[in-house]
Amino acid sequence: MNDLLIAGGIGVAFGCALECAGLGDPPKLAGQFYLRDFTVLKVMLSAMLTTMLGAFWGGRLGMFDPGAFYVPDTYLLPQLLGGLVFGLGFVLSGLCPGTSCVALASGRIEGATTMLGLFAGVLLVGLTFPAIEPFYRSTPYGSLTLQRLAGLSYGDMVALVTVVAVSVLAWIAKREARP
Amino acid sequence: MKFVRRLGISALAFGLIAPFAGAPFRTQRRGLDLDSIARAIDEGTDHVSARQLAEWIRDRRPGLRVIDVRSPAEFRNDAVPTAENVPIDQLAKSQFAPGQTIVLYSQEGAHAGQAWVMLRSLGVTQAVFVPGGLADWREEVLYPLLPANASPAERAQIEALSHYFGGSPRIGAEQGSDVASAAQIGRGSRRRGC
Repeated sequence: MNDLLIAGGIGVAFGCALECAGLGDPPKLAGQFYLRDFTVLKVMLSAMLTTMLGAFWGGRLGMFDPGAFYVPDTYLLPQLLGGLVFGLGFVLSGLCPGTSCVALASGRIEGATTMLGLFAGVLLVGLTFPAIEPFYRSTPYGSLTLQRLAGLSYGDMVALVTVVAVSVLAWIAKREARP
Repeated sequence: MKFVRRLGISALAFGLIAPFAGAPFRTQRRGLDLDSIARAIDEGTDHVSARQLAEWIRDRRPGLRVIDVRSPAEFRNDAVPTAENVPIDQLAKSQFAPGQTIVLYSQEGAHAGQAWVMLRSLGVTQAVFVPGGLADWREEVLYPLLPANASPAERAQIEALSHYFGGSPRIGAEQGSDVASAAQIGRGSRRRGC
């Protein structure tokens, strides 16, 4: 019960943050794909930075064990195809699963239709799962992380990702400062 | 703008110190905590009976994850309901969430016990195994021998569990039933071990 309360609190905060960032607005999200609006990239990069540094330093300071975090397994081809389908849906509707909830909560009808499509898609995959299961489980790579892929230590990877993310964020800030 | 810049600089600082901070994992050692293993074996917290597992599955115990460590071919042939197949060689690559109760089983228990030690060495402490494996599952859950001296309530309980998983209890040999009932299950003699 306590876990549910905490999860509910985090969910509300997450939704608030998304709405404050303006991610409930489909044209704003679609603008990212046309490189007109960099809000999505800014939100994603800053979220990744915060989480990565929090996970690394929280673990280093003994607050929790990052080794216990669940890292989903990689299935290269099916996830590549899934990513393509997801991206297509993202740019067509201007919403992703999380932001469709936010859009619905702030009263946008696009949010409701996107969520309807989302659940229809999940149901379809669930019903046809026996047929697509061989593909679903093809090209398995286990739980692949950047550091395992690059053969670097966790700390080195954190530094590398930080430099890349901060540089991109600085570049976006500079670009947006231009009239 | 000033605040954002400060945030960016501190993120950069935290990121750049990270390579010199060492590893954040607590279970990095991958060593065996022999004391805690010995304690778990002594106290019997390293295993559960097939019947206990059956009750957990029936009661939909939250966080229960039943893992079959046999080969995929054996798994397809016959398995405990709700189990997932993670062959021994895949075990080290798998991820286990801390809140889960992991129950390992194999054909007769030896491999599951070894898998339990493997998981321990990976820092997974919330795992248990079924000592008798699938053989116990058949003998204690699917086709249990009803003891002659059991109370009616006890017998009903065993029967209900057996029926739940689609089996049927055998009548105890003491009651004059045929001794050949073991052959009826389609299984030869089995090695008792572990």
